[in-house]
Amino acid sequence: MPKTITEQNLNSLIDALVQDGTRVVGPKRAGTMTVYEPLSAGVELSLAEMPRRSAKEVFFPVCENILSFQRTEQGTTVTDVDVCTFPETVLVGARPCDAAAAPVLDAVFSWDYRDEFFLERRKKTTVIGVACTKCDDACFCTAVGLSPAETRGSDLFLTPLAGGGYVCQVVTDKGEALVDQHSQLFADTPSATPQPLAEPAAGQFDLKRIKAWLDNHFESPFWVGISERCAGCGACAFLCPACHCFDINDEGTEKEGHRRKHWDACAFGKFTNHASGHNPRDAQPERYRNRIMHKFKYYDDKFGQTLCTGCGRCIRACPVGIDIAAILDEIQKQ
Amino acid sequence: MCDHSKNIYKPHLATIEAIRDETPDIRSFRLVFQDEELRNSFSFRAGQFAEYSAFGYGESTFCIASSPTRKGYIECCFRAVGRVTDALRRLEVGDAIGVRGPYGNSFPIEQFEGKNLVFVAGGIALPPLRTLIWNCLDLRERFGEITIVYGARSEDDLVYKHELKEWEARPDVRLVKTVDPGGNGPAWDGRVGFVPTILEEAAPSAANTIALVCGPPIMIKFTLPVLEKLGFSDEQIYTTLENRMKCGLGKCGRCNVGNVYVCKDGPVFTAAQVKAMPQEF
Repeated sequence: MPKTITEQNLNSLIDALVQDGTRVVGPKRAGTMTVYEPLSAGVELSLAEMPRRSAKEVFFPVCENILSFQRTEQGTTVTDVDVCTFPETVLVGARPCDAAAAPVLDAVFSWDYRDEFFLERRKKTTVIGVACTKCDDACFCTAVGLSPAETRGSDLFLTPLAGGGYVCQVVTDKGEALVDQHSQLFADTPSATPQPLAEPAAGQFDLKRIKAWLDNHFESPFWVGISERCAGCGACAFLCPACHCFDINDEGTEKEGHRRKHWDACAFGKFTNHASGHNPRDAQPERYRNRIMHKFKYYDDKFGQTLCTGCGRCIRACPVGIDIAAILDEIQKQ
Repeated sequence: MCDHSKNIYKPHLATIEAIRDETPDIRSFRLVFQDEELRNSFSFRAGQFAEYSAFGYGESTFCIASSPTRKGYIECCFRAVGRVTDALRRLEVGDAIGVRGPYGNSFPIEQFEGKNLVFVAGGIALPPLRTLIWNCLDLRERFGEITIVYGARSEDDLVYKHELKEWEARPDVRLVKTVDPGGNGPAWDGRVGFVPTILEEAAPSAANTIALVCGPPIMIKFTLPVLEKLGFSDEQIYTTLENRMKCGLGKCGRCNVGNVYVCKDGPVFTAAQVKAMPQEF
């Protein structure tokens, strides 16, 4: 029998988790924006709007300390960041496109060398996804093989009901454990009518065909045509749930400080700049080409997955109107 | 339960045991790991690289320039050109630096046994080959003829000057050293000319020979056709690519050439592999 939860009980669940000392992150209003942020007890979830930034910060912060160092008369010491101190977290109200990006990123952060900063947060986070009932013309999850009801990456999955509240689908053992711990907040409901789901307008892309074209068109006038106007601002990468490039820098002095890992983007001119001044990607089209190639070819070559979940944030935010969905559509028509 | 897994970004501490100025702006460090167990157990293969840190400034990527046959220490060689390398340059003997590694693939030295070797290097690109040169010289009987063609802009810009003398004096090494036209002083006893030209004149035989090339992009560009003319196939030529790297672990996303991650799939490639890559390096 399917389980349901009322809106009021969902808020009670959040309050109970917060009171237990769990870090709860979910979409809330901040001024005129909706953003994923840590929630305190009594805060209203705001599920109406797509959050401005993706939820990847829950696993992969914009900037984080990866070690600290200290130099004294006795010598230099390097102190580890103890990932065991990372808090148990519940990400509630994740969009399907955000939830689905995390398992995609598992591949790069765990192949060969394991990045415990990312993986420990993944391990300690339970994701409650919510089906989308609304979308806009930038949404294209269905075009990359996902959907407004995609459960990948969610441990529990909520679908809004016509009469209010949600049907709650248990996706993983982690999700089941959460329901068991708070069983009094869930009800068994024999039948409930879900709200109609969003229907993104973008047709399904033939990702294999797109990749086949990319395999053979590294050199093509196409790249200049689509991205000569790219301003290199990096907004697309920073808003993307799947972009994972980063930089490592020290902050502090020779005597003491932190080494930090922080987001970076292939759109930036300095990203690949050699110490000698030589830059393999010297112009914006070369950098934008790398963005498309990385998402729809290289990541697939390496890990058999696409590094895009069709959230459309890069389309909404691009100051010069570059539309990745339109570009992919153009590629598959080649 | 949390297992205290390893922080893959945490460097080992090493003490600078010796500093040598190779040129006015290129410096070598001899480094000894502070942890005694690591000092004895650290192993690497010729061709691998590491991330070196100047605490407070960050990390830079260079090859491990010493030979894996020399135990108890490693060496690196760098030019001061930026924030981190300037900070490294300010360090003194006895200071600590961070070292992460070894990373990347290496020269398949076992496959070179019984063959002749031709090393071709330009400027600061000798260190990535020097690790292999000493590796081979320390196991001398396993290899055939060894030829080293090394050039720089000027006499001053040649690195490992003392070792060039040593190689020159060895009967089992043929060293051809050169400087660019105008880079020679009155006492210069080597050749004058660009590396590809001098290589062509030295004309090492391609029969049963492996060529190992490292230098600035322009030198590589003009050296490959010369090797081809001498009869080398692309499978007989090895090079090592020096892309900008940060993590060294195949995660940070900046060193790729097409779908090839230089930090994981390289830095050592055959000319055949390089030619198959998209031209963005």
